[in-house]
Amino acid sequence: MKQSPEKKETAEQAEASLSTNYVVRAIGVKKVYTMGAEKVHALRGVDFAVRRGEYISIMGPSGSGKSTLFNMIGGLDKPNEGQVYIDEVDIAALNPVELAWLRCHKVGYIFQTYNLITVATALDNVMLPMTFAGMQQADAQDKAIKILERVGLGERVLHKPLQMSGGQQQRVAIARALANSPSIILADEPTANLDKKTGLQIINLLKELNMTEGVSIITATHDHKMLDISDRIAWVRDGQIEKFQKRSELEIKEGEMHVQ
Amino acid sequence: MKTENEIMEIESLPLGKIISITCKGIKIRIWRSLIVVSGIVLAIAFLSYILCSDGFAQNVSKAAGSIVEQGSPEKIQELKDQRVQTYWMVGLAILISFVGIVNAMLMSVTERFREIGTMKCLGAIDSFVLKMFLIESVIEGVIGALLGVLAGILIAYVEGVFTYGSGVWSLLPLAWLLGVVAFSFVTGVIITVVAALYPAREASKMMPVVALRAEL
Repeated sequence: MKQSPEKKETAEQAEASLSTNYVVRAIGVKKVYTMGAEKVHALRGVDFAVRRGEYISIMGPSGSGKSTLFNMIGGLDKPNEGQVYIDEVDIAALNPVELAWLRCHKVGYIFQTYNLITVATALDNVMLPMTFAGMQQADAQDKAIKILERVGLGERVLHKPLQMSGGQQQRVAIARALANSPSIILADEPTANLDKKTGLQIINLLKELNMTEGVSIITATHDHKMLDISDRIAWVRDGQIEKFQKRSELEIKEGEMHVQ
Repeated sequence: MKTENEIMEIESLPLGKIISITCKGIKIRIWRSLIVVSGIVLAIAFLSYILCSDGFAQNVSKAAGSIVEQGSPEKIQELKDQRVQTYWMVGLAILISFVGIVNAMLMSVTERFREIGTMKCLGAIDSFVLKMFLIESVIEGVIGALLGVLAGILIAYVEGVFTYGSGVWSLLPLAWLLGVVAFSFVTGVIITVVAALYPAREASKMMPVVALRAEL
């Protein structure tokens, strides 16, 4: 039972790789952390690929290696073994400056704790990645205002994060992630600190951006609402990907899923 | 398709831009910056005060030299001991300045690990992070050392008026006074920048994921 969807997936992947282009590919990724004398195998050889424009959720209990995988995909951490390609560039081959360029232009990050610069306004927060990209101040300001309007914060451009609700702060973070029109948005538990209703609004906003802007979205999550709108779900357990599931397969197994 | 050619076009931000970002940061965090600056002021005020009052004492004893020469050997020995003591005081003052400033700079960098991690996620390159902290430390160092020198000399003179009377104004040659100002100022700025260098370098080299995880 468990084997069949996985096999189907790999066959599909092989077929697709001829035509589709992948924004992220991870091949045989291994990561070991040394904690004192103990070695923790966070990832034990993971293969993972995300198609352009795909919305994919990574699910798994805490300690499963979910966050580690997530960090690898985002170029926030380097694997001990295996390769990670972002837009067909092997991140292990990049020097720190090139890696920074990649993070700046290709990837937008959204965090569970928002990680906004709390002392700066929403506008300044959104403009920061544009400044790093070398954009002119006036252009950056225009673009940042447009993006903030896009995520529904047109009225709060000059507010500081601490004057906003959690949902609004996460919207600023989403706007900031979109700043340099990335190919991938990485969202690490984006709804974990939000109530149900606000969380749903954030999820819908992400889906909407995924549909309209064509940006690939990868989220690490515990939130079952997120599964509903994902194209695919990767289940991670003990440092390995247990299985991939498509949304259509998921709906049939919904009862089972909730037990899990 | 997106090849390395594209990646090669990396421009680091112009210095003016980094300075303006840094100044904005200082302004936004004005209270935090003031605490760092006040640490430097205290340290350098202490240093310049010690140097200045040592100058008074030395010149007074020089003026009284003739009397001292006629004095007993015990008296001369006592004055020599006093000189050794002031050297110790100056050394101690520099040490205290160093520890105080290093502590202030370490704090101001480490408490911002998370921010550094976030900035690196958004595409900040290592040298940007390093430059930002170095520029910040130069600004804080210059302001702190300047205020410190002024405060130290002012205190020394106020005390001097009580000890030596109004003659204190002519006690120190101008060159000596300028020497004290220059030495204290330069020491202050150098210590501040050196103290910021280590934590800033460490912070700039961090993988973003490590910086984000850093708990303090």
